[in-house]
Formats: sequence, C-alpha cells, structure tokens
Amino acid sequence: MSSLKKTSILIMATTVAAALSVSVAAAMGDKPSASASGMSQVGPTPAMAGTFAKAPEAAIPPLAPLGEPPIPPDNPMSKAKIELGKLLFFDPRLGGDASVSCATCHDPEQGWSWAEDISRGYPGTVHWRSNQSIINTAYYSKLFWAGSVPSLEAQAPSAAKGGVAGNGENDLMEARLRLIPEYVKRFNEAFGEPWPTINNAWKALAAFERTLVQRDTPLDKYLLGDSSALTEQQVSGKALFEGKARCILCHNGALATNENYYNIGVPRAGRWLEDGLAQITFRFEYYAKGATEELYRTVKDDVGLYFRNKNKWDKGKFRVPSLRYIGYTEPYMRQGQFYTLEEVIDFYDRGGFDEEGNTTSYPKTKTPLITKLNLSDEEKEDLLAFLEAFTGEKIMMAKPRLPGYKPLFTLAELEAAQAAK
Amino acid sequence: MAGIMTTRPFMNKRGFLVTALGMGLILANPVAIAGDDIGPLATLKVNKARAELGKRLFFDKRLSGDAAISCGTCHKPEYGFANPDALSEGYPGNKHFRNAPSVINAAHKTVWMHDGRIGTNLNDVTRGMITESYIMNMDMRIMQERLKQDSLYVKMFKDAGLGEPSNGGARKAIPEYLKTLNSEGAPFDDGQMSASAKHGLELFKGKAGCIACHNGPMFTDGQPYNTGVKENFDVFLDPARHQAFIGYADFMGIVNYMNLKRDPGAHIQKHKADGSDIGKFITPSLRELKYTAPYMHNGMIKTLPEVVAFYNRGGDNDRNKDIRMKPLDLSKQEQKDLVAFLLALSGKPLTSSRHVWTEAYPKEYEVIANWLDVPN
Repeated sequence: MSSLKKTSILIMATTVAAALSVSVAAAMGDKPSASASGMSQVGPTPAMAGTFAKAPEAAIPPLAPLGEPPIPPDNPMSKAKIELGKLLFFDPRLGGDASVSCATCHDPEQGWSWAEDISRGYPGTVHWRSNQSIINTAYYSKLFWAGSVPSLEAQAPSAAKGGVAGNGENDLMEARLRLIPEYVKRFNEAFGEPWPTINNAWKALAAFERTLVQRDTPLDKYLLGDSSALTEQQVSGKALFEGKARCILCHNGALATNENYYNIGVPRAGRWLEDGLAQITFRFEYYAKGATEELYRTVKDDVGLYFRNKNKWDKGKFRVPSLRYIGYTEPYMRQGQFYTLEEVIDFYDRGGFDEEGNTTSYPKTKTPLITKLNLSDEEKEDLLAFLEAFTGEKIMMAKPRLPGYKPLFTLAELEAAQAAK
Repeated sequence: MAGIMTTRPFMNKRGFLVTALGMGLILANPVAIAGDDIGPLATLKVNKARAELGKRLFFDKRLSGDAAISCGTCHKPEYGFANPDALSEGYPGNKHFRNAPSVINAAHKTVWMHDGRIGTNLNDVTRGMITESYIMNMDMRIMQERLKQDSLYVKMFKDAGLGEPSNGGARKAIPEYLKTLNSEGAPFDDGQMSASAKHGLELFKGKAGCIACHNGPMFTDGQPYNTGVKENFDVFLDPARHQAFIGYADFMGIVNYMNLKRDPGAHIQKHKADGSDIGKFITPSLRELKYTAPYMHNGMIKTLPEVVAFYNRGGDNDRNKDIRMKPLDLSKQEQKDLVAFLLALSGKPLTSSRHVWTEAYPKEYEVIANWLDVPN
C-alpha cells in the first residue's frame, strides 16, 4: 500500500517537472498580464517562468482522494436541516408557478443535471447553458459556469429566482412555505425561528447539497492505496492525464479542478442558430447581465467570465469544472457542445477544435495550455478509461413525499374576526 | 406609490370647492351639499397603430412568465373586461385575493387598484400587472426578447413609431389600447333612459346618497372609503390565495401580516397607527356593471339588487365604516329603480375584433435564420 502511494507521488513529481513551463499559468488561471502586454499567446512567457522560479508553491496539486466537504461556519450541518433541504430540493413550490423544483432540472436520473445540450428552463423558456450536476458541488469555491457565486447558499436563490430557471419571488415563495405546517415545524426544528424564511430555505438546500458527495470512486480507492481499483489501462490513462495529455494542468487536486478560468477553444453552441426560444434567452442574458448596448447588439457567443469583470482578455473564459461524476453528466462543456467523452478527448487532442475545425469565438483569449496532443488511438482509449475512474455508483434518490398546504386559520377564527370588525 | 388624496381640494363642475371640511359637511347632509358632476365621458384621442399593437399585447399569453395567461385571461371581454369569479385567478401556482375590476374606461381614472396603490398612469399599472409575482410574474427583460422574436411585433412596433419591440414600447401601447375601451351606447350617455331609470337617477342623487362618492363622469370620486363589506373567507381558507395575500401584505409593509384576517385595503398607503384606514377601498366606477358581477373588491355581492340592498341596510358591520353608511329606507320599487339606473350606465359589449385581438398567435417562436449576420 505504501509503496503504491510512493509510486503515485513519484508520477506526480515527474509530471509536475514536465509541466513546469506552464504550471504557473495553470495554477493562476490565465491572468491578463500576457494578453494585456500584447505578448505572444502561443506559449508561456519568460515572465511566467520567472514568476514560477520565485513561487514554487504554485506547483500543481496532485489528484487526491476527496475528503470531507467544507462546512461554512454560518451554516452548520444538522439532521433536521438536511432532511428539510431534501424536501425543499424536490418541492416545486420554490419557484414561480409551482411547477419546477431544483430536482426538475437537476434530475437524479440524469446525473443530478439535465441530459440535453442546454438545460431546460422555466416553462415558456429555455436556459442558455448546460446544467451542471449537483454532485460534489459542496467542494467548489465558486459556482455557475462563470463562477458568479461563492457558495451553495448564494447559488440556490439565483437558480430559484432567475427568469429562465425558477422565476420565483422571495415573498411569495416564503409565504408558501409558511402555509405548509410540516415546513413550519421543520424550519423551527432546524433554525429555531417561529416562521420559515426564504433565507433559511437556501441554507437548508445548501446543507442537503453538501450530503450529495461521492468519495468512493475507483480513483479515490486507488489513491487511497487499493491498486486493484484501477485497471492497467486506467493506470496508463492516468499517466497520460498527468503527462502527455496535459489534463492535470487544470484538472488537478481532489476535485480535479483548479477552479480557474480559461478559454479552451469550445466553439459556439449550434442551438442559437436554429432555435428561436434559445435566441430569446441568449439576448435576455446579455440584457439582464448589464451588457453595453454595443455588446448586446453584436455578441454571438457566451463571453463567460467577461460578464463579471468586463476585462476584454477574459472573453470566453469559464471556470474549470470537476471531472468527478462525469460518467452520468453528459453532455459536456458550457452549452453541452459534446455528447460523449470520446468527442471531448478528440477536441483536446486537436488543440481545442471540434471535428469540423470550429473553435472559440474569442481566439485571442484562448489559453496557451491547450495545444495539439498527438494522442494515438490507444492513448485516447486509455485516457477515456481513466476518465471513467472519476465516477462511482450512480447516486439515486426517490422523490420524497411532499407535505401539503393547510389553511392557516379556521373558519371559526375568521368568523370571530369578522364579528369583531 | 399614490397617496390617497383625501385632503386634496377639487372643483366639481359648478366650481364648488370641496375640501376635507366640505366632506365633513357632506356627512351631515349629503343631498343638500353634493353637486353632481355626472355625464358622458370625455372622448380620448387615440393613436390607432399603438392601440392595435396594445390590443395584440393585451391578449398575448407570452406576456406572462410561463406564457400561460394574458391580461385578457382575467379581464375577459365577455364580462366587461372583468371576471365572473368573486376572486381573480392570478398566476398559475397561486390565485389572487381580490376581484378583477373592469378595465373598460380605465383610461379615465386617476387612481387604480382597489387599494389605490397606483396613482400615476396606466403605464405604471401595465408594468405592475405584468411583473407582479402573483399576477403575471414576468421578467420584462424576457418579455422584450420574446416580442423581438415575433416578426409581426417587429412590424407593429415600428408602425406605431415605437422603434424595435421594447418594454417601454409595450407599456405605451397597452395603455393606448385601453383608451379604446370606453363605454359605448350607454342609455344614460345617450339620453335613452327608461322612466324607472330616470327615477333611479333622482334617488341616486338624492335619497340614496350614492352621488356622495360615485360622482363625476366615471361615477367615482377616486377616494377610499370603508363601506363595511364582509371579508371573503376564501382569501384565507384557500392557501393558494392566502399565499398571494401574505406576499402582498409583506411587500406592502403591513405589520404582523401573518396574523391578518382581513384585507387592509388602502391602509397600505398611509399605515395609520390607529388602524382607522383599514378596510377602505377606492370607490369603484359604476359603468358597465351589467357585465361585471360579482361586485365589491372581493366579489362578495353577487347581484346589483343585492348591492342596493346592502346599501339600503347601511352596509355591514365594521368599526371603520364611513359614518354616511346609514340605512336608506328605500322601498322595493325605489330599489328597483336604482338598479334600473345603474344598468343604464352600461353600454354595448366590447367583444368584437374592434376591441379584441381575434387572430391566432404563433405556437412557436420563429428562428432568426441569419442570426450570425444580423444585430441582436
């Protein structure tokens, strides 16, 4: 067991050395310095290498077994809170017209996500990005494709209230919770407050989501010392992952993501060219996110991180997603551009181009980390086999029976109030 | 937010300055003091292209969040652009807690909503109804993009001089359409009242004292009063309605809104500490009553004879009831005459294509085929 661990660490060390020249850029995300100074985009700059020499702590963290999820001090876990959060996750009354719950789009059957290129939306709409799995979201320090929220507590209201997602309104959703006696009781048990509040609902949802983790994948078992957990082919794939295929540069650490932002060359979603409903949402997103008039008029792709900071060198950059649980979360990429992992591997092998030669709408910001890989067919198969090791058993959950509404007052109470008017 | 204008002086048609003090005198003897200002409504100038656009928007379900209801879903043309249900449907997932008033003649009002919470213009009313979570729950930014995806709207907005489809444009067009919804051919306006109705008018101005509040061409003074209408318990017994009511009361800043067992009405405007404004509602117009049953802010009275009977007994109990609400001692015949007069304030149905958008709406959104080549 210990010897295996050593081997693993040794591989890591070799990989890190091999990736030395680009590791700083990988660890830091593509920061503006190179673009802003007009330096070449094709490779790491001397400045970067120099930074690395001074900052060895920026080395790439190895893949690691997934530990316990971090729990924020202002939302401690409790059984009551988690069970309440589970009910709320499946309850469509936390939405506009009470027809869609969190679980409607983040469907356990579909990998706690939605198995179409672009997520379904609120009735009458379609979303504009691919729906991400809930599994292991407990570990992210930023959520959504452009990393726009820092916690699950902040993600929940964005999803429940967004016009193409839940389209709910705080006051009405809160009122609904208060007319469900079982929730009044459970919120009181979980939070010690007389009435359910919408903010506590987000906390309960977050607590429930922190239980949706998978820490026993073949990869976890292997990294914990069980050499039989990976096949020979997967072990070969792991070496490619950490070496020639360069995946580790961004997909590293226990969560298999450094959570930095890159433009890796994913082409525009075809859906926007052929679906009127998707064209509506596309424009809405730019309108709603406060784009300039010029951007709103001219943009034809998802600018990603640029929405948040308006730095032109961040156009088309997205937060690296985890590779965990990807066996159930197809399609892949921000608008589900690829339906299979084979397509994904081919995309990287070509250096960020799809099979028709399409790439990012923002080539200036494309990361130099993405280069042609020249993987053989066998290597691709090995890599694919290894990617499967990031996924364990399918996490299933039956929809719980939801508690019903009950009138808050009796007829007698209302009649008494009427008489006392 | 509109303030209630209880102390605002206004001139009636005889130039009689009526103030809060004047109102006090009216209380003592409404018949002697109140000058009547009733008559036909002023003719409104209408921009036809904008009104036509507004008509299409009014009946378009794509103006609600989940594209399930339009303005016309609750404001039904065949019911005088009101609703036959005591309490309005509201948005799917909840129901409303008040009766949907007629929007006929709405352009002649100066204050809108039963609680008088909008006192600016129909542009604001339009926005309020479309965006309110328990009414149409529409993110207007999505609405704008839906409109831009419909080539007929693109043309109609342009023809109406409103540029490309926009929220602002929609909020101009719908009020313009509402200006076309006016009482047409009401016997009172046309001088065609029956003898009974004429007698009813005399009672209206005299013995029955209706004119004290129902004055002016719209037969309303636009002020809030408590007439002692009973609560509609469905508001509280149906959680689908109660949730909308709670959300509303919470948003309006009502203290202790979870324990409310009555509709606060215009109290939401001034929140008087002594609660004396609880249960006041804006005097409704009396035009088009023929089509708009049931009556009152909560639909608690089903027929006009029952409404007249309600006033004849001085309303029902309420500690805040206006002191002018006293038994009227009207005979059966007088009550009938009063009803005849009220019915004479209703015109012809506004149900033809002149007032209703009758063409089908597209079932799917068109694709902008050359999407990459055109500006968004």
